Amino acid sequence: MTDDGPAIDPGEYEDVWVFVEEHDGDVMPVSWELLAEAERLTEQTGDDLVALAIGEDLADVAEEAIARGADRVLVADDPVFEPYRADPYGEQFRAMVEERKPSIVLIGGTHTGRDFAGRVAVPAHAGLTADVTEIDVDDEGILQARRPAFGGDILATILCEEHRPQMATIRPGVFEAAEPDPDRTDGEVVEVDVVVDDAISEVLERSVGDTADITEADRIVAVGHGVEGDLEPARELAEALDAELAASRAAVDEGWIDGARQVGQTGKTVRPELYVAVGISGAIQHVEGMNKSETVVAINTDPNAPIFDHADYGIVGDLFEVCPALADRLGDEPIQEVVQ
Amino acid sequence: MTWTIVVGIKQVPDADEVGIDPDTGRLDRASAPAVMNGPDRHALEAALTIRDAVDGEVIAMTMGPPNATSILEEAVAMGCDDAVLISDRAFAGSDTWPTSLTLARAAAELGADVVVAGEETTDSSTGQVPPGIAAHNGWAQLTYAEAVDPRPEEGRLVARRDVEGGYELVAAELPVVVAVAFGEFDPRPAPLHRKIYGENDFEPTVWDAEDLGIEDEVGLDVSPTSVGRMETVDPVERKNEVVDDVDDLAEAITEVTA
Ligand SMILES: Cc1cc2nc3c(=O)[nH]c(=O)nc-3n(C[C@H](O)[C@H](O)[C@H](O)COP(=O)(O)OP(=O)(O)OC[C@H]3O[C@@H](n4cnc5c(N)ncnc54)[C@H](O)[C@@H]3O)c2cc1C
Repeated sequence: MTDDGPAIDPGEYEDVWVFVEEHDGDVMPVSWELLAEAERLTEQTGDDLVALAIGEDLADVAEEAIARGADRVLVADDPVFEPYRADPYGEQFRAMVEERKPSIVLIGGTHTGRDFAGRVAVPAHAGLTADVTEIDVDDEGILQARRPAFGGDILATILCEEHRPQMATIRPGVFEAAEPDPDRTDGEVVEVDVVVDDAISEVLERSVGDTADITEADRIVAVGHGVEGDLEPARELAEALDAELAASRAAVDEGWIDGARQVGQTGKTVRPELYVAVGISGAIQHVEGMNKSETVVAINTDPNAPIFDHADYGIVGDLFEVCPALADRLGDEPIQEVVQ
Repeated sequence: MTWTIVVGIKQVPDADEVGIDPDTGRLDRASAPAVMNGPDRHALEAALTIRDAVDGEVIAMTMGPPNATSILEEAVAMGCDDAVLISDRAFAGSDTWPTSLTLARAAAELGADVVVAGEETTDSSTGQVPPGIAAHNGWAQLTYAEAVDPRPEEGRLVARRDVEGGYELVAAELPVVVAVAFGEFDPRPAPLHRKIYGENDFEPTVWDAEDLGIEDEVGLDVSPTSVGRMETVDPVERKNEVVDDVDDLAEAITEVTA
């Protein structure tokens, strides 16, 4: 089932595809971020911008993809695709890639995106770059997929010169989505053949609640393992600052806060004007997701915590004392008016 | 039926010790000690947990240089029944495509019913290898698994997968590749007698590319991706001001938010 044959002719491959990840009609924000960024690439290459949607009852999703810039939307609409499973999605996607030969395929680096990207890249013998944070395309249409290595000290550019498609999973939050333009209705919707009729996996239960989008927040108070399960001090501070709550992976793993709020290498990239790290040590995987913040404040009992190297302002102190006191001071300040 | 549980582990440079060569600006991996990829310890624990629940054996496999034997010894000390080292110069330059092919072939050769792996490695952090193994073999996959529930009577394995904003329970037919979410399985300590056995008496099976019949399908030449440039990124400039009291901190914050 794998293709070990001679290298393909890249000239046969065209267009930039963006996978629109939807669950039960809700589209993951990263999909629209990628669509906007991919539009920039197609302006350079002259390719069509193609969105692809796999799921059930996708008319609204297709319409929105067009309003957000897609020239064409490929729709695989069938109950077999709801809810998501790697094998039917991968198989369908692969069939579409084989038939229509895209040059570039961008997929959001969500758990779903990273789960199934390889299901396409392996049988297509495509190049797949993981967890990309910058993309560009050169004069020959070669995708320059950049990804941080080792805590962001190094940015590696990964290329795929002799295989197609050039695929990448891209970290949520690094690009800005474009506003939908309701007047933009001239895109084409193509219903593709559904090639899947069976699956080797079955979703027994799915429970998804709050999928907060911390990437949009102007201010963030992030909690780490140091809060020991008590989010109240951080919540109080967040309220005083009109900030969103976020977290390190350690806090997420403990189940204290939802995974949608995780910042870092395997979480989201955030870039608020203010990021307050409360009881977070500052591991490289965490810093990678927050070092685009304008101003970073650290509250930590350990003066040697690496987070202080990545902070503009720090205080060595117990968060259970510092947070309420800080919230108190900030609450009194005219800051509340400024926030409006 | 007894299950053969194969667990994939990798030797990586200790992430905390990797420096940057000031002359070349490149990662100086050589100076960092080689250790077991952290997430793989959780994979080992998950594999042993599955064995505790079903009749079966756990075999650790790694693709790496000969000295990667040390992580196999650790795996055996933790409780794996056997281990395989897949080592060959022909693998040099392999990206995730041939790497997952190699591990897929080895898993099939071992007769795996379940392949367990870590979520990603700390040195390349692609997370692509477990789905790649499943794709090469046409097997089911369960990634970001937070809990596993083997159901031998159904011939399936159920996992709770972490997804954005919640979780899902997914059942997969065997053979299945399970990538374990980091932080969910507390690795058990290795008992002393197993450590001694692992270090002194245990020898892994060693396979090369030819043993797996893939000598023409691995290495740099068949890897679809290649590394172009490596740029050092200047660290973000921060003020690094440590203040003594909360009033000063409040003032600094107000300046930012005003
Ligand atoms: C493959 C992989 C991917 C990862 N991805 C991510 C990711 O995306 N995001 C992420 O965050 N991590 C990620 N990690 C985990 C990361 O390596 C760290 O383990 C994690 O960030 C640590 O979280 P923490 O700082 O909250 O906890 P800890 O490291 O335990 O730090 C807690 C801090 O709280 C301080 N503290 C304790 N009590 C108090 C108190 N009363 N008042 C003030 N301070 C206090 C301590 O001094 C300490 O500095 C990943 C790891 C791996 C291996």
